[in-house]
Amino acid sequence: MKSSRTLGLVMIAPAAIMIVLFFLLPVVLTAVFSMTNMTTATGISGGVYQIAPNSLITLKSAMPDIAAEISEPRYAIDEAGLKAVEGLGLAPGIAGELRAKHTGEVFATRRDAERMIKDLSERPSTRDVKQISEQFNRSVVNTRFDSKEQLFSALDTLGLKLTPEQKETVATATYTGWTWTTDNFSRLATSPDMARVLLNTVLYVALVLTLFNVGYALLLAIWTHYMPPGPASIFRGIWLLPRITPVVIYVLLWKWLAWDSGFISILMGKFGYPPKNYLLDTAYHAWFFVVLINGFIGASMGMLVFSSAMKAIPKSQFYASEVDGASRWQQIRYIILPQMRWPILFVTCYQTLSLLASFNEILLATNGGPGNSTEVWALAAYHTALRNYAGNLEYGLGAAMALVLVVIGVTLSLLYLRVFNYGTLVAKPLIED
Amino acid sequence: MAERSQPSANYSSWPVISALTIVSLPLLLMYVYLFLDTVTVKQPDALLPSGLTLDHWRFLWQTTPGKANIWQATVNTLLFAACTTSVVLIVSSMAGYVLSRLNVPARGFFLAGVMVLHAFPSVTLIIAIFIVLQMIGLYNSLIGVILVKAAIDLPLGIWLMKGFYDTVPWEIEMAGVVDGASRFRVWRSLVLPQVKPGIMALGLFSFLSGWGEFILPQVLAPGNQVQVLSVYLAGFLVDDNNYDFNMFKAVGIFYFLPVLIAYALFNKYLMNIYGGGSKG
Repeated sequence: MKSSRTLGLVMIAPAAIMIVLFFLLPVVLTAVFSMTNMTTATGISGGVYQIAPNSLITLKSAMPDIAAEISEPRYAIDEAGLKAVEGLGLAPGIAGELRAKHTGEVFATRRDAERMIKDLSERPSTRDVKQISEQFNRSVVNTRFDSKEQLFSALDTLGLKLTPEQKETVATATYTGWTWTTDNFSRLATSPDMARVLLNTVLYVALVLTLFNVGYALLLAIWTHYMPPGPASIFRGIWLLPRITPVVIYVLLWKWLAWDSGFISILMGKFGYPPKNYLLDTAYHAWFFVVLINGFIGASMGMLVFSSAMKAIPKSQFYASEVDGASRWQQIRYIILPQMRWPILFVTCYQTLSLLASFNEILLATNGGPGNSTEVWALAAYHTALRNYAGNLEYGLGAAMALVLVVIGVTLSLLYLRVFNYGTLVAKPLIED
Repeated sequence: MAERSQPSANYSSWPVISALTIVSLPLLLMYVYLFLDTVTVKQPDALLPSGLTLDHWRFLWQTTPGKANIWQATVNTLLFAACTTSVVLIVSSMAGYVLSRLNVPARGFFLAGVMVLHAFPSVTLIIAIFIVLQMIGLYNSLIGVILVKAAIDLPLGIWLMKGFYDTVPWEIEMAGVVDGASRFRVWRSLVLPQVKPGIMALGLFSFLSGWGEFILPQVLAPGNQVQVLSVYLAGFLVDDNNYDFNMFKAVGIFYFLPVLIAYALFNKYLMNIYGGGSKG
């Protein structure tokens, strides 16, 4: 480990391994899953071939004759049936003769099979004929086959002669597992629900970003800038609280404020208004609170960045402007704001990505409601894949939605790396050995 | 008054103080009532408490039916946060050093990658990892969540540590190398002590973020045996029918207190991260 190169590789290996295993691999897998129709209904491992009623319905539209044939029971003289006939305790000759003369024969209807049984030399009674024929009743409906080959050989033994193309159609229609598909993306592109969610997301990011993460943060920074150090640090501490509070408690506080047994309801009750759930009663209220809840958290980061940037402005500029008779507003307008350009750009870039990806607060506060009015993209992906109250978790579709976020995130951050001149951040090492 | 942080004394500060007080009121109100409500009795429609009680804290000695034991959840949370923190600290203090000082192939690419990874939405990771864990049957274990959480925190950690290493003067390492120490030895005994503030900041940040993490444990480890406090509390929150705010708040305080104490003691270090001083 004398050379810095080997040492470097050894020391970076744990990070590389962890990032590949728990970061890159899941992203790649998300891309893979997004190309499947995986759901809880199809399962996540391979499925089986089963001619269930619903697969027969799909088959009927493609091949009505074959679907009808498959759904009918058939009568096949096979060893299992012969054993069962022997067990019935009828005349021993019946099973023997059937085995000798008719093994392997298949009858399309019950009547054909029974006619054959009646013609046996023992001539069983009508009641016995019914009993015997029942032993040979073979149907593929609702039987599970682990592979295509098993399905096809079962169809063959029942005398259903299918061409290879027909077999493939049957196999596709009866497969219960997931398959490869690009349907997820066409669903994303065409569904009006998705358009609605997209609009919500844009609205959410734009509102929280401009009103709180940048606007209010700037206001907080300027206000505390013009304060004595004591109160300034107290207020900064207060506005940092939402960021350090675990999200579950933070949302609990807002619920206490806005729910029908909460603070606002009690307060309004004093003025004669009936209590109601201010958080969820209308879409506008829900939006108001969603923006506030996320904004209060986001404001702190902007406040800190802007405050430290303002501290870096030389004091002499302020003193000089005061000597020239500048008002406080003029100082803000002509000294502070022009020098806040880069911090504002940085906060905007950084917070756009955070807002796009974060959904914890909305999940806990409104869960996308009322209706779907506060459902944003990340939350919708979560709902689709992991918490779907309709019952069927659509892993594939959810993964496709998540992938859209990944693409947006990567594109934006590459753009930002450009804007912030990435090259200057990577200086060459000074010691080369 | 040798140094004043405000730009000027010519302007009075009371207008800004009062304006900020007014907009801070809702936030203050929520936090004050968070504490107040857990130790007092209040009539349903009253705004002010009418008496003291410890009844809301009963969850500490009696387990709600169908719920996880609070102490079990606390131990899980502590384990989760502490393990995540140690993994993040060890791995990123090594990787950050490499990226700041050592000559490895694709260094620039790795750094840019770390920056881009930081922008990845965690919902992607959750969905894929959930499906994978289901496939291999490792769903509902704490180890899996710890590794995933650490991986999510790593990009920020590596980037921050790189920033802190960048501020250490090269002379220290030169001196070490001239005296015949290996580069590893130089890192261990000379450079690492120099970035203690960074390690403190990152450690605290990781711990707080692990302590508060909700969505990963909720999805990947919801079972009662491995439940953490955030999931425990969220279980109360989503139960719309049975809303006992005061008890939730008591659980909340129980959960929040360690955060507050850690923050009060070490907030100077944490500011290094939130101030974004070493980023871009």
